[in-house]
Amino acid sequence: MLKKKWQKFFISVISITFLFGLPSAFAEDKINIGSLNDMTGATSDVGKDYALGISEAIHYVNDMGGINGKKIKLYQFDYGYRIPEALTKYKLFTRLGCKAILGWGTGDTEALSPTITRDKIPYISASYSGHLTNPDKTPYNIFSGTDYSSNARATLTAWFDTKWKNHPDFGKRKPKLICSYMTSHPYCSAPIKAIKDQAKILGFEVGNDQDVSLFAIDTKSQILAMKKFKPDVVWHGNTTMSVAATLKDAYAMKLGATHLINVWGYDKNLIKLAGKAADGAMGATVCAFVGEDVPLMDKVVEYAKKYNPSIPIEDRLIRTVQAWGNVMVLWEAMKRADKAGDLSGESIRQNGFETMANFDVGLGIAPVTYSASDHRPGKIVTVYEINDGKFNLIDKVNLGQRWADKWNSWLGW
Amino acid sequence: MYKKNKILALTAIIFAAFFITSCVATDVKINIAPTQENFQAPVVSLDYVDVAHYWGWWYFSKKVKPTMGTQGDYGAPLDLAFIFNIENPNPYPVKMDSIKFTIGFEDFDLNTVENKEIQWIPAEKTNQVRVHAMFDGRQSLLSLLVTGGFKLKEKGLGTGAGAALKQLGQWWETIPGFEFPIHVKQGAAVFSTEEGIIKVTAFEKTFP
Repeated sequence: MLKKKWQKFFISVISITFLFGLPSAFAEDKINIGSLNDMTGATSDVGKDYALGISEAIHYVNDMGGINGKKIKLYQFDYGYRIPEALTKYKLFTRLGCKAILGWGTGDTEALSPTITRDKIPYISASYSGHLTNPDKTPYNIFSGTDYSSNARATLTAWFDTKWKNHPDFGKRKPKLICSYMTSHPYCSAPIKAIKDQAKILGFEVGNDQDVSLFAIDTKSQILAMKKFKPDVVWHGNTTMSVAATLKDAYAMKLGATHLINVWGYDKNLIKLAGKAADGAMGATVCAFVGEDVPLMDKVVEYAKKYNPSIPIEDRLIRTVQAWGNVMVLWEAMKRADKAGDLSGESIRQNGFETMANFDVGLGIAPVTYSASDHRPGKIVTVYEINDGKFNLIDKVNLGQRWADKWNSWLGW
Repeated sequence: MYKKNKILALTAIIFAAFFITSCVATDVKINIAPTQENFQAPVVSLDYVDVAHYWGWWYFSKKVKPTMGTQGDYGAPLDLAFIFNIENPNPYPVKMDSIKFTIGFEDFDLNTVENKEIQWIPAEKTNQVRVHAMFDGRQSLLSLLVTGGFKLKEKGLGTGAGAALKQLGQWWETIPGFEFPIHVKQGAAVFSTEEGIIKVTAFEKTFP
């Protein structure tokens, strides 16, 4: 009799444990992801908006069920664009067992590239350097936007196709290109070889590079040098403030060229800082601007308003959308790897990213394809132009189709 | 005897009724289920700012050889602590998942910090949270140079690294007395209930 009572007691205890214990055990089934951002350093003007976008996109992913039912726990840190801190935080991410890292700029991405390759941890960066797209060299570096080199080639091509033909000198002489950027900076110099190669293909004459510091707010001496060459187009490889300074000086000194601008110098702040001088400036973007009518943008806006209500949506930059793009491709890769039964870094790469063929991210991002031999996400680049203070989509350049014979040889530079 | 029993019974009933009522009342208070409608966003208010650790102002460029360690560009760090009151007006506990805000010295946004250590705030109680913000002299210099060049010029401080260092020196040297406005802006604190209902509180304040 007494034995039966004890049996009953134990069965009850076990039942209660199962009833209350198991669900909480499931609730703890989370996947850790690290995020390195710059919210205080040299790139904080764009880095903060990107960091907010990362956090908001992860909220969305979790609301949509996470990785096949498992929620993501985001460990997001500001490293102030300081490499020693990025390396220190990377060690924390590995201790936390992070499955992937959402990185930031050229500095941290390049500094960590050998380490993530050794540790087989996917690193999804906002540095779109073409140097990171060859899996033979950097197999765990990934991003969702078209690379800087493709962007530079496409922007120059779009100008050639849409503007040069209407120029009074068309057919009489070669168009002229000059590059304005901080020559010692890896981000600024990343696509220079590619744009000069494209200039050669299209028959441009190329002038001497103008070294413009990222800190510059007075670029008159560089504009004077440019005027001697009389360029038709100027490629700007810097970030927003110094690009705005160059545009203002070029406008004041009547340079008369069209400005082509790389991704991190081309956003709403450029229009705010440069005003009229920004009119006509062209740039390749890797996604749509905030509020554009493209799939998933409604969620970008909804989550921005929900989680950061004190920042007006009008003040949010394209950087938010770029962050969403990277989170969306990582989410898809992790879902695929998890379905394959292996959520290791190697599997996220091979069973996830490298199985994506024309994957539609939405957000105005061209369909994304990664393979084991090519991590360039796309061949189609969207090119915008600023008219009356607004961004207008003017062209979609399909580099892979137009230069099918050269496309493979452009990998990794 | 019979009457005495009756009084005792009546007293017992009254006590029992009082006991049951108070239990029910307590129960009701505890058992109000959080809903999207009844979940009031907790109130976040900046109580004060504290210079948590202070090293004064200095800056060494990489041209200066250090006594020990690596040669490089180094600026004085500054550790500020922001103390917030987090008031939960709800009759049930609420979890604070994160608190995030940007810090501006005058018109220059220098830092954005986020604290993701969760804490539970009991029903109708106020918690305090201390959020540290580390300002590195070198990092702040680069931030000012790359993003604040036009503003420095407008302020009449000139251009380039000299102007930015001058501005940083002024802030670092006068902050013990809080002689310039420190803006807490674009603040957002995320709260949730045990059931996963979420509310976000926006906040901002200028100190002092």
